[in-house]
Amino acid sequence: MSVIQIVISAILALLVLAGISMMSKVKTAVAGNLLSAFAMLAGVVATLLFTGVVSVWTIYVAILIGALVGSLMATRVQMIQMPQTVALFNGLGGGASALVGILSALGIGFSAEQQLAIAANGYAPFVRFTALLAVAVGMVTLVGSLVAAGKLHRILPQKPLIWKGHSLCTLFFLVLTLGFVIAGLFVRGGAMTVCLVGTLVAASLFGLWFSVRVGGADMPITISLLNSLSGVAGSIAGMAISDVFLVAVGGIVGASGLLLTQIMCRAMNRKLMSILVGGKGKPAPKQPQIPVKENEELVKRVMDLEKKIKELEAMVADLEARVKTLDGQIAGAAAAQPAADAKPTAASVLSAAKDVIIVPGYGMALAQAQHQVRQLADKLESRGARVRYAIHPVAGRMPGHMNVLLAEADVDYEKLYEMEAINDDFKKVDAVVVIGANDVLNPAARNAEGTPIYGMPVLNVDEAPEVIVCNYDLKPGYAGVENPLYTREKGVYLELGDAKETLMRLIAGIA
Amino acid sequence: MIHPLILISVFVVCTVLGYFIIRNVPSLLHTPLMSGMNALSGVTIVGAIGATGLAFLAGSGPLAQIVGGLAIALAAVNVFGGFGVTHRMLMMFNKKKK
Repeated sequence: MSVIQIVISAILALLVLAGISMMSKVKTAVAGNLLSAFAMLAGVVATLLFTGVVSVWTIYVAILIGALVGSLMATRVQMIQMPQTVALFNGLGGGASALVGILSALGIGFSAEQQLAIAANGYAPFVRFTALLAVAVGMVTLVGSLVAAGKLHRILPQKPLIWKGHSLCTLFFLVLTLGFVIAGLFVRGGAMTVCLVGTLVAASLFGLWFSVRVGGADMPITISLLNSLSGVAGSIAGMAISDVFLVAVGGIVGASGLLLTQIMCRAMNRKLMSILVGGKGKPAPKQPQIPVKENEELVKRVMDLEKKIKELEAMVADLEARVKTLDGQIAGAAAAQPAADAKPTAASVLSAAKDVIIVPGYGMALAQAQHQVRQLADKLESRGARVRYAIHPVAGRMPGHMNVLLAEADVDYEKLYEMEAINDDFKKVDAVVVIGANDVLNPAARNAEGTPIYGMPVLNVDEAPEVIVCNYDLKPGYAGVENPLYTREKGVYLELGDAKETLMRLIAGIA
Repeated sequence: MIHPLILISVFVVCTVLGYFIIRNVPSLLHTPLMSGMNALSGVTIVGAIGATGLAFLAGSGPLAQIVGGLAIALAAVNVFGGFGVTHRMLMMFNKKKK
């Protein structure tokens, strides 16, 4: 590898970095993505030239096939299928790294000079070790991503699957994988093939065992983690074949993916380790400390409750007043709607509301109702109401999932608020419209210990005076925990059924 | 061949850089960013091309070409699909800016 090649690799890696950093701002994101793509293209061309393999026709055939399939999928896939698509692509990348690792482990794909250099400098153990490690991380990524994609695509059961001796098996496969990889440092010849096959199998089993247990709200985090892993796999494969560009970009992707994973974990109040090995959101193992905390928490909760009762009383008075004015309105409209009775309906609540928060969830994605949501917001805004959107960090099946869908419906992203920014406002608004969201606003998360969502920060929808729930049914969400909000006696309007239709009804009903 | 220590230090430096560069991403962009980095993880195509090409020139036989070709194709799906999907998502964020 010549000096020029290293310099070019460094420049391209910097371009990738610049591209990623541009992608963290909305304005420059498109340009950032194109910049990264360009850097990648340049990297491919540089590799073709520097490695002297421009004449090898099989490369172009393979690229063409991959490019066709990839481009077709990218243009055909629906926005709602985005999470599983990302997971699938990610897995394929990991698989590719594993295959590169297989070639290197077998000593294939090195030029004559490279082979001489490896032998002369005693790099062989390093090459074998990194090749096997690339196979291991790549296979974990591939299998894990495929399982995640399968779960998201509903081919596999979405609930966490726990097999017999699950934690023990997971640990065993992990240790076994590491054992084979480390053995690669010392063996040669036929034993290397054994190590290779062993790594392949053990890593795949580990990937399967670890991903099949993940379910519910942990899915986005797992995908993000696998994303990071596929970068690491690439980077390690790059070490095996001594490619600086590959090592650099893989490292960047691995680290930023890990950071993104951490950001998400923090948003959900989950520890990464507990997702990986603990499985089902058990309370932290520090058992003795919990009661003390709970006592304090209980006192605080009682005080909060008292405060809330007072607030509620005030609200009820306010509501009664509002109902009276509504009654007046309804009486006025009686000629047009003789059947309308005095009971407030979802539509009447929205008609009177001046400040509304919309809470979208995965159900909105499923029903493809984002355009109807936008219409509802437009209608409310045309009546002078303020409409905001509260986006839970893990609403949907992927962080940012809701933002993407709402952006598709041309919702101004300045109206989208993150959980921390809006959570205190729920008690101040007139009404909240929930569209296909459940777990992210389930008040049970605050106290239902031992459930998958326990401890996850939720949107304080239950503090709102009026809640309109446009969910398909009242079944527990992805996490499988009942939502006590649905059985609240006052101020909850259940508009069940396909969100598209219920929203159209609501829009029509707003006088 | 590059010295293993150099390779490892490149990895470490890039890890640190990558870590700092996306510290303050708005959650609004998590999906496109994740999908963009997902596309970038297809960078392994570079390694696949190098290894497959060298194996071809060295006459390592058809099996190496199949494994290598598969690696290139998978990575290419990752790259083209990843960047395509990311671009589509980002365009949706941007269209209302006009």
